[in-house]
Amino acid sequence: MSNEAKNNVNDPRRPNKIIRYKAPAQGTPSDDPTPDYMNLLGMIFSMCGLMMKLKWCAWVAVYCSFISFANSRTSEDTKQMLSSFMLSISAVVMSYLQNPQPMQPPW
Amino acid sequence: MKPYFLVTLVLLCGWLTTCETAANQHDADVDDNEFAEFEEFDDEEETTTVKSHQEPKERKVDTKTEDVVSKDEIEEEDDDGVVESEDDEFEHLQDEEEFEGFDKERGSSPKSKGSEKLPDLEIAKVPLHLRTNWDSFYVEMLMIAGLGVYFLNFLAGKTKNSKLAQAWLGAHKELLDSNFSIVGDDGTQKEATSGTLMKESENVYALWCSGRAHVEGMLVELKLLKRQDLINVMLRMFKPASDQIVITVDMDKSSMDRFVFAVAQKKAALRLHKDMNDLSQFAEKKNVDRYEIPSSYQILSEIGEANQTLLDKKVCQVLTKYEGLIEYIHFSDQYSGVKSQEETQSKLPETKAVLLFCFNVPDKGKTRPSDMEFVKPLLQFVFYCIDKVSRLQLGKEARGKADKNRQKAEEVFLKSIHSQRQEAAQSRREEKRRAEKDRLMNEEDPEKARKLEDKEAKRELKRKIPKVKMMKVG
Repeated sequence: MSNEAKNNVNDPRRPNKIIRYKAPAQGTPSDDPTPDYMNLLGMIFSMCGLMMKLKWCAWVAVYCSFISFANSRTSEDTKQMLSSFMLSISAVVMSYLQNPQPMQPPW
Repeated sequence: MKPYFLVTLVLLCGWLTTCETAANQHDADVDDNEFAEFEEFDDEEETTTVKSHQEPKERKVDTKTEDVVSKDEIEEEDDDGVVESEDDEFEHLQDEEEFEGFDKERGSSPKSKGSEKLPDLEIAKVPLHLRTNWDSFYVEMLMIAGLGVYFLNFLAGKTKNSKLAQAWLGAHKELLDSNFSIVGDDGTQKEATSGTLMKESENVYALWCSGRAHVEGMLVELKLLKRQDLINVMLRMFKPASDQIVITVDMDKSSMDRFVFAVAQKKAALRLHKDMNDLSQFAEKKNVDRYEIPSSYQILSEIGEANQTLLDKKVCQVLTKYEGLIEYIHFSDQYSGVKSQEETQSKLPETKAVLLFCFNVPDKGKTRPSDMEFVKPLLQFVFYCIDKVSRLQLGKEARGKADKNRQKAEEVFLKSIHSQRQEAAQSRREEKRRAEKDRLMNEEDPEKARKLEDKEAKRELKRKIPKVKMMKVG
């Protein structure tokens, strides 16, 4: 019994002092702005690719949206991620439909 | 009227066919080597064909009335024109009445060749679609390959990070369970649950533990490297980094005395001193020589007495043994996070009593799940610190100093707010005055303008005379 008592005294656990986890507010900027920047860049590049019919812009947009997806937080909306991805894919497809020539490398 | 109409129609048809033949002839020259020898006669041919057109057309107008027939004949005459220039020998064969059929045959062969030439022209554009000449798309192949590689790396990195997180949890679960009532609450369920390792992103995992003496709760964040991002992986080849474990212990306000203290690696110390609200306001750099800790560390402290109590033998031993692994430890009762970028703050930021620990996982970057076992003593160190801080009691003098510091900080803050408010009020007043002046200037009616001017003058006078407070006596 004394052992038990000893354990109880030494036991730091306090079941009656439980405080629930409060997730940090959604709007607060977190340490890493990469996914947001990449998302924005991706959208800009895909608009450029669509408007100016530049194939390389469209490809860069696909890469940007991939990077943004890889770095994203789970709390973020997947719909936005998916929409930027779809936009970049459509930019690639549209530029190839309009001009089926292969891309010329810069070298 | 009818002949004129016919003439114009015929001329139009003739012009159309010349265009066709011109095009055909160019193609003929390019594609069909049979006619290569006649290249030099291109211009001549065209002119002759044009000329030869006009003559038969004029002849035909009177005799033939059907447009289709005339068109055919003109086409034949086109070919006739071509054939004509070829060889004079066959001139007598140009008599249509005799050799119409023959002409048609003759005409048909160059015509068929011409029709072959026509499809050639169109086919020239098609090859890019139909021809599976994938070699020309090598840049696209490279792009797709790059995406494939990125995706594979994403999967591999994600799995590795997940394994590391699970390994950490597995190694530390026993220790955590013995210290906390609940280990791993995600705050979503109605009642507090245990065992949830929250995945905040592919490289950040969090664990909330609660139900311990002196502690409101403890948040363990596993800030692993971004193994799922290929670009990050490549950057780390040049600049190696480690996985980090950041532990934030929310202390009971009553359990912690008033002081601000930090021990950090020199680089981290510089950063913390600049960025953290409480460290920049209260803490000063202190010498490490007096204590048995490695010189790579820097002490930032407010109250000297606290240093001596906190940096006891055991803590110094741990700091020495795990020199590379302990990035920083930061104890503060005035913790309010990183300095806000905003210049204007409406009120004093909320503070809370926290103990922050940042540990590096061994094997910079090349961590294996088995390495997580080596981090266990550091968690034990955390619990030791919690108990030590809760037992710490500052002397009267130290406490007085701490209180004074905090009061001063508050006053400074209020002053800055006050001055901000004054500035804002001043600018508002200026705006108002300017708006009124503008109104005055724009007022066209002289009567109204005079009235406004009088009002302004009165207001100026009022402002100049100091306000006298009337008091009732008696």
